Amino acid sequence: MLVASAGNVVVWMVWIVAAFACLGSGVAVVSFSSPFYSALALIGNLGSLAVLYLLLNAEFVAAAQVLVYAGAVMVMFLFVIAYIGPRSESPWMGGPGWQAVGAVLAAGALLVEIVVVISLKASGQLAHSEHVDATFGTPAYIGRLFLTDHLLAFEITSIVLLVAAVGGVILGAHSRRSPEEVPSL
Amino acid sequence: MVYGAWICLLSPLVAACLITLGGVRVSRRTAGFLATASCFVAFGGAVASFIGLLGRDSSQREILSTAWTWVTGGSYQSGLQVLIDPLSVFMMLVVSGVGALIVWYSIGYMDGDDEERRYFAYMALFVFSMLLLVQGGNLLLLLAGWGMVGLSSYLLIGYWHERPSAVAAAKKAFVMNAIGDATMALAFFLLIKEGNSLEFGILGGEFSSTVTNLVALGLLGGAVAKSAQIPLHTWLPDAMEGPTPVSALIHAATMVTAGVYLIARTHAIFEAAPKIADLAAGLGALTLLVAGLIALVQVDIKRVIAYSTMSQIGYMFVGAGVGSYPNAMFHLMTHAFFKALLFMAAGIVIHALVNEQDIRKMGGLRQLAPKTYWAFLIGSLALVGIFPFAGFFSKDSILAAALAHGGWYGYLLWAAGLIGTLLTGLYTFRLLFIVFWGEPSAFVREHFHPLGRDVVAVSLAIPVGVLSVLSIVGGWIQFSPWWHPVETWLQTVAEPTVSPASWQEWLSIALSLLLGLSGIAVAWAIYGAKRVAVPRIAWAQRTFEHKFWFDEAYDALFYAPSVFLANLLRRGIEQPVIADSGRDLGDDTRDLGGLVARVQTGLLRTYALAIASSVAVLAVVFVIVK
Amino acid sequence: MIALLGPEISWYLAVAGFLFATGSLGVLLRRNPLIVLLSLEIMLNGANLALIGFSRNLGDGGGQIFALAVMAVAASEVVVGLGLVVALNRKRVTLDVDRLNTLRG
Repeated sequence: MLVASAGNVVVWMVWIVAAFACLGSGVAVVSFSSPFYSALALIGNLGSLAVLYLLLNAEFVAAAQVLVYAGAVMVMFLFVIAYIGPRSESPWMGGPGWQAVGAVLAAGALLVEIVVVISLKASGQLAHSEHVDATFGTPAYIGRLFLTDHLLAFEITSIVLLVAAVGGVILGAHSRRSPEEVPSL
Repeated sequence: MVYGAWICLLSPLVAACLITLGGVRVSRRTAGFLATASCFVAFGGAVASFIGLLGRDSSQREILSTAWTWVTGGSYQSGLQVLIDPLSVFMMLVVSGVGALIVWYSIGYMDGDDEERRYFAYMALFVFSMLLLVQGGNLLLLLAGWGMVGLSSYLLIGYWHERPSAVAAAKKAFVMNAIGDATMALAFFLLIKEGNSLEFGILGGEFSSTVTNLVALGLLGGAVAKSAQIPLHTWLPDAMEGPTPVSALIHAATMVTAGVYLIARTHAIFEAAPKIADLAAGLGALTLLVAGLIALVQVDIKRVIAYSTMSQIGYMFVGAGVGSYPNAMFHLMTHAFFKALLFMAAGIVIHALVNEQDIRKMGGLRQLAPKTYWAFLIGSLALVGIFPFAGFFSKDSILAAALAHGGWYGYLLWAAGLIGTLLTGLYTFRLLFIVFWGEPSAFVREHFHPLGRDVVAVSLAIPVGVLSVLSIVGGWIQFSPWWHPVETWLQTVAEPTVSPASWQEWLSIALSLLLGLSGIAVAWAIYGAKRVAVPRIAWAQRTFEHKFWFDEAYDALFYAPSVFLANLLRRGIEQPVIADSGRDLGDDTRDLGGLVARVQTGLLRTYALAIASSVAVLAVVFVIVK
Repeated sequence: MIALLGPEISWYLAVAGFLFATGSLGVLLRRNPLIVLLSLEIMLNGANLALIGFSRNLGDGGGQIFALAVMAVAASEVVVGLGLVVALNRKRVTLDVDRLNTLRG
């Protein structure tokens, strides 16, 4: 597993840093009480994920992650948090005690299952990764796939975005104000 | 002849259907004429059958005409059959003849009633049912007719359904008849089980003595209920709540005599079960005495005649029980004549006195309604059995047959019959003297209105006249010691098992005539000439007035426990289990829904937790399954 | 042809799993709807990482296409979610998931 070579060591180092950053910022998102700090932690998470994508030869996806996710979505988040202001603070946790226990158990179970299932079923496949050529993950490669094999997904995704945009506008529009003044005689 | 029989059977049914379906399109008078005409057509058909049978040799007088196979079950089979034999033709003539006269009489009697059409439909239905009973070719059709006459009786007794007493009387009649129907049905079940058939011939078959006795007992139960003999007799006086023509037709001339017809028709099994036949005779004798005693204290004109009917049918049962079937049937015929006559004359009296039936308010009608008086007198003389009126010829032969039966039992029956003759003279003429003799009472002077000369009067008068004539001459058909065509006619169907000797006949005739005249004399002394005061024996008076406490006994024995049981079941089972269960079911469902609704907490986190846990569980399941 | 350097794919998948579990904890435990949305993003990103990992492992570009579609959908969902939060805020409703229970049955 550990192939000692110069390129390999560098990749390993980068991987360790990026992975821990990813995990740490993930925990941070969930733990901070202020949504502002959570959003910032999420930006860090997204960035470390982009690094991991690069290590996996998915350049376009990494770029899209930074541009779209960290650049647009998170900015939108921060806009809204700033707009709402202090009202966005709320108690960390509450509700029935069994809910917390149940949540932890459920999350733990999910994690264990993911590990177990993948190791049971796919460990043979996972042991050896394919060799890919240099064009794998390039924008040209993604673009060709979008316009040939996965054209339908491409088109439908665009429609989903359109619907979301329209929905956002409607949700955000000011409601009509009823007349407050009664005409005096 | 066969057509005649079918026309006889079906014409009243056609009339009933037409009146029913016509509804208000048929005028009330038209309904009456339709019903009467159908009964006369039926009589014509009966006469045709009679003539047809006469033409045949006496051994060939049994024709079974089948319309189609009605019921089949396994190896059992019953057809829709009409039997034309001497006995059935005899009954057809009586039923359709007397029935036609009474229905004609009803046109006048029921004139002005709002629901005449219903009345005539029911009357036509009754005549059809009775004809079905007597013409039925097998026991199954007899039972069908039996049940239908019970139904018609119920409908007609409760005709004035706004009166609670009428409705109660109708129910009482129906329930008591149903008891008889039940015993008959049980007897038929036994017959099917043992003999696999309900043809009349099966009754002569070989059965074990237990089965024979049980079947005979069941048939006797039905006869006793239908003919109002002790112990199932309490419904007949109450049945007087119905209109007078109904009392005349159903509860005097035809339906109540169906029991006697049944015994005559099924005589084979009664002969095979002599103890049951003796029981029948004994019940008849008991009834004729008890009814005679009760009739002595009755104050309702119709009830006196009703008890008289009960008593006379007792005579017929004695006759049938000792095996003298032709004589019992002959008495049935003459009784139909004079009893219907008495009822119709009483009906004219009631009509003339604005529906008053209490004889204590009446008196002196002899001057005001002389023709009615003569009709009533003829009927009474015929009832008591005075020569030369009809009852004389028929009743005395029954007494002679009882004597010929032999043994101490025969003497007992004979003595009971003779005492009954005395009582008959007494109560009949008590009634006549109280109602018709003496000075007109205040009530009569105030309310009496004579009949006019319109259709109503004609329809009231002519049938009474015809029956008066028949009551005078009808008995002359048979005088047992010298000529007996009735017996010869019916012999092929029901061979009498006793033939009284000449001296027995003459002794019975002499004694019964003597006792009858003595009864009339005593009644005249007390009520006619008022020479002797009415005897007052307190305990006897009370017992007779309470009808020997039968009603009270039945109330305590059967009615009160049933009511108690019904209430218990209602409180214990019907209310909580059946009635409340519907409501409780709804309540429980709603509560269950409420419980389920508690899952909907409205909290996002709960739902998310549910999704997460479900995914966790499902993943495990998939892994295990795969 | 390039071989995969560094850790095997299973390591990436482990990270993805952890991310998913962390995100689900956040969704289940936090009361602020904004934080819930952010945790939801974490979960989606965990899934994305798994997709990209498998895509590299199998040499199939479809995984990356799928990841891009997921990204687009996540963006749309965030738009709608934030629109709801803004509308709630305008109505002066408390931004507490436990108080928003008018759908209670």
